[in-house]
Amino acid sequence: MTTIRLENLVKSFGSFTALKTMDLEIGNGEFVALLGPSGCGKSTTMNMIAGMEAPTSGRILFDGRDMAGVPMGKRGVGFVFQNYAIFTHMTVRQNLAYGPKARGWPKAKVDAAVAKIADFLQLTPMLDQKSAKLSVNILQRLAIGRSAIVEPAIFLLDEPLSNVDAAFRAVMRTELKHLQREFRQTMVYVTHDQLEAMTMADRIAVMDHGVLQQVGTPIEVYNDPVNLFVARFIGAPGMNLVEGTLAETDRGLAVDLGAFGLSPPLPAALAGAARTAGAKEVVYGFRPEEVTLRTEGPGLRAAVGFVERIGARTIVHFGAADRALKIVAEPSTAVSVGETLSIEPVAASVRLFDKASGRAIKGAA
Amino acid sequence: MPPSGTRTVATDREERRLGFRLTLPTQVLILFIAVFPLLMQLYISLTDWSPLEGTGWWRAYELWNGFANYTDLLGDSRLWGALWRTFVVMLVCVPAEFLLGLGLAVLFMDDFPGKRVFYSILLMPMMVVPAVAGYMFFMLFQSGGPVNGILSGLTGLDVTIAWLSDPTLALVAVMIADIWQWTPLMFLILLAGLVGVPEDQLKAATLLGASWGQRFVTIMLPRIRTVLIIALAIRVIESFKIFDTLYIMTGGGPGVATETISVYIYKVTTQDLIWGYVAAIALVILIALSVLTVLAMKRMAAAGGRA
Ligand SMILES: Nc1ncnc2c1ncn2[C@@H]1O[C@H](COP(=O)(O)OP(=O)(O)OP(=O)(O)O)[C@@H](O)[C@H]1O
Ligand SMILES: [Mg+2]
Repeated sequence: MTTIRLENLVKSFGSFTALKTMDLEIGNGEFVALLGPSGCGKSTTMNMIAGMEAPTSGRILFDGRDMAGVPMGKRGVGFVFQNYAIFTHMTVRQNLAYGPKARGWPKAKVDAAVAKIADFLQLTPMLDQKSAKLSVNILQRLAIGRSAIVEPAIFLLDEPLSNVDAAFRAVMRTELKHLQREFRQTMVYVTHDQLEAMTMADRIAVMDHGVLQQVGTPIEVYNDPVNLFVARFIGAPGMNLVEGTLAETDRGLAVDLGAFGLSPPLPAALAGAARTAGAKEVVYGFRPEEVTLRTEGPGLRAAVGFVERIGARTIVHFGAADRALKIVAEPSTAVSVGETLSIEPVAASVRLFDKASGRAIKGAA
Repeated sequence: MPPSGTRTVATDREERRLGFRLTLPTQVLILFIAVFPLLMQLYISLTDWSPLEGTGWWRAYELWNGFANYTDLLGDSRLWGALWRTFVVMLVCVPAEFLLGLGLAVLFMDDFPGKRVFYSILLMPMMVVPAVAGYMFFMLFQSGGPVNGILSGLTGLDVTIAWLSDPTLALVAVMIADIWQWTPLMFLILLAGLVGVPEDQLKAATLLGASWGQRFVTIMLPRIRTVLIIALAIRVIESFKIFDTLYIMTGGGPGVATETISVYIYKVTTQDLIWGYVAAIALVILIALSVLTVLAMKRMAAAGGRA
């Protein structure tokens, strides 16, 4: 139950800067996900919060207290490693009891805590088994239990679910959320899986190449990406992004999308913002889910490339290579390959980005 | 799949036979270099034969004395003295080498400036030929030598200790030389064990609030247990055979003050020339050492099964 504050945090390894600058405030009891592609500096950030690595510059504050010089064992953080770091020469029980014993809890208290956490994580049946022989799914729960048992104020998890199978991942997502509700820790969760971030986090911090791109609730990050990277990274499939040029038409400002034709006129607020921004070269974006698909009518004209039917929905692919579009449609949608259709994005879902800077052009909402 | 079972058995037997034929030369060789001398030793140990007799060793039966050598051995106070001194050397040197080696290995787990240089320097004693090391320490411990020189410098007095001619100090000097030469081996073996301890487990333990001591006992020790037993076994056996350095430094003297079992056997062999008796001693020691080794191995296997 602690707030975490990162101020101008920088980390370099020799001449390579893994974390260029990071400013982030994490509230008491908040669940924040650090989301980003591999190598973007997520683990580096976590290791510095935990005290495993010292920042090159910048500050880390817990409840306003500077953590510089506070050794990792004294920060009151629980840490779940990506590969679990289970003590394989010990039993499940010994693993769970490790933290409490290191802190010198009386035996009765240790036993009670072990029993409670083992029950919570369904580890009771294997308490006396050697942990070396357990399955990944159990090791995973054990790793969480071992850190959670001492009820740390801050709980850091570095891609805890990346090695477990998809079905178990879904179960663990629920359990982790449950665990956090139970213990009310401040939780920082590293992942490169946006589904994990979207489903569990109160807020998501999107990172790329050692730079924090955007922080916001899952909905904010999904609806209002601040730049092209976030737009592309969040959502599955990601946002459709087509390069084009702003063009004045008799029905208002629109975007000339080359082979796809002219976009529908932009909503007034967005058009205003685009005019103010003064950019000509833009990137026109819309979510694959938020379109109307018709054989005739206004919108982008494109030929169906192929169709993926994946049960609950159908993904229709248009065009090719860098001018490709994806549309998520009803499972019953009848389209045939080669057919040319009209794609009309829902006006409110259209986003514009400056092509040169990649930044979003925002209308006053 | 019907007769595949019998076929497999047949092939197995054939394969074993081929294996036997292929290893036959090696087996014969082992027979000659290990078993033959052993039997010869046993044979001679039951006689009074000596090269002075002028007859070949195979005619030793002419001097058959049954178990007399073995009963003599029990009453040989010089032998028991030598054995006692050997144990003293072992009981002082092996723990000292172990603790120093472990301490250094723990230091070398972390990075510090100049680590590589220190590492090379530390390993140097191990590379020195033991006879050369013996000569080095012989020079160092002369009454006008550097050791007394340093002591004089430190105390401000004129220290002229006759290290190698004092019965107690000679043994101390010999043990110092042994510790100097063999601590590096301990260090190397234990360091190899310690760097194999998974770093993330140590980090996890630290984050769970474990102190260095707790981490050492709960994570590091269990993981280096096997290596640790191997290191100790090697040094126990080796220290039992301590000879070269010691012999050059003191020749076993003054008197018999530094006479260990190897030195004693060497003297009885080359000076007294009573080979039948030597054979008996050597055989007893061989058996004692073998038992020790087997026990250590058993311990090791048990530890390996648990880790
Ligand atoms: N000790 C180190 N020395 C040098 N470079 C390092 C070190 N640790 C990390 N890096 C580099 O810093 C960058 C960021 O690493 P980091 O482990 O934080 O990435 P990540 O976002 O956690 O990625 P992943 O999803 O693969 O775990 C990477 O390019 C990595 O190679
Ligand atoms: Mg990582």
